[in-house]
Amino acid sequence: MVAVMIDGTKSQDRNLRRQIACRGVCHRLIRCFGALLVTATAVSAAPASAQKVRIDGLVDVNFGTIANLTADSWQSQSICVFSQTANGGYNIRAFGSGTGGSFTLASGGNTLAYEVQWSATSGQTTGTILTANTALTGLTSAATQQVCNAGPPTTASLIVVLRAAALTSAIAGAYSGTLTLVVAPE
Amino acid sequence: MKWAHAKTGSIILAFAMASQTAHASTQGTLGATSTGSVTINASIASRVQISGLSDVTFNAVDPMIAASSAQNVCVWSNTNNRGYRITASGNGSGSAFTLASGVLPVVPYSVEWAGSSGQASGTALSSGTALTGLTSTATNPTCSTGATSSASLIVKMASADLQAMQAGPTYTGTLTLLVAPE
Repeated sequence: MVAVMIDGTKSQDRNLRRQIACRGVCHRLIRCFGALLVTATAVSAAPASAQKVRIDGLVDVNFGTIANLTADSWQSQSICVFSQTANGGYNIRAFGSGTGGSFTLASGGNTLAYEVQWSATSGQTTGTILTANTALTGLTSAATQQVCNAGPPTTASLIVVLRAAALTSAIAGAYSGTLTLVVAPE
Repeated sequence: MKWAHAKTGSIILAFAMASQTAHASTQGTLGATSTGSVTINASIASRVQISGLSDVTFNAVDPMIAASSAQNVCVWSNTNNRGYRITASGNGSGSAFTLASGVLPVVPYSVEWAGSSGQASGTALSSGTALTGLTSTATNPTCSTGATSSASLIVKMASADLQAMQAGPTYTGTLTLLVAPE
């Protein structure tokens, strides 16, 4: 340390020491607040926009050849929907590959309308009818793991229905289409 | 003379089509939204249906005048051009179009078919031989919506055959119509 100092220099040194001392305190405070912030992040609910969801376990829907056109045909599957929100809440929106996202299958220029239902529990053969491009809200999931490989293996049911009225009005042939499901936290 | 005649139910034939199967499901990822998709495949078999048939009754006909009875029926087909073929058969010997009354000699009748409703004549059918190349305007299997009928069934008896019949007894027979998609 320099022995000869003017007051101002001493003053600067004091200030420097104060700053150094303060810096040490501040670092401790920062570390402390940082820990508090981390802790706070861990225990408080994040806004819905920051929370994440996942849909998993979807399989293609194959009706095969439908021989009885006078009865409804349906296929259901149990899938996994995971939501990070506090109550496992989510909404789901579906759209098909038909015009404007409509739920229709195509065979060349011919179309076949189908119905989509959703249930927030697995193993169901009926559910709430979805409107294309309109979210079904107020759903909750019991999934504790994002692909349901722990906890409940599935949490929801997707049901696709071909109504008899649609079957009898359709032209014979092989129909195909894509159904897209979009899940969002809620 | 009274002639009570044929009525058949609907007949359905199936032609299974190979199911087109694709495996294209996609799974969502963890994110602010998650999107998955499935491919849906369905194959609709070719189907036809005939309905709206009524019994044919010739009652106290004048044997000097040929008799004819026409009715509108519904034939529905779901093939691409709504095509079908029809095969008729009677319950006479060898599926002949004949009426019988006990031991009395059988008498023949003729059957005609038109691919549109409201017709008094059509194409003559031969028993057991399909009339092909027909199309229907029906969009509903029983014509409950859209066209109320789509074809005409005409049954005729020639004057000579009426004159060969004995007055009083009732002659009866059954006409069966088989429709297939085309």
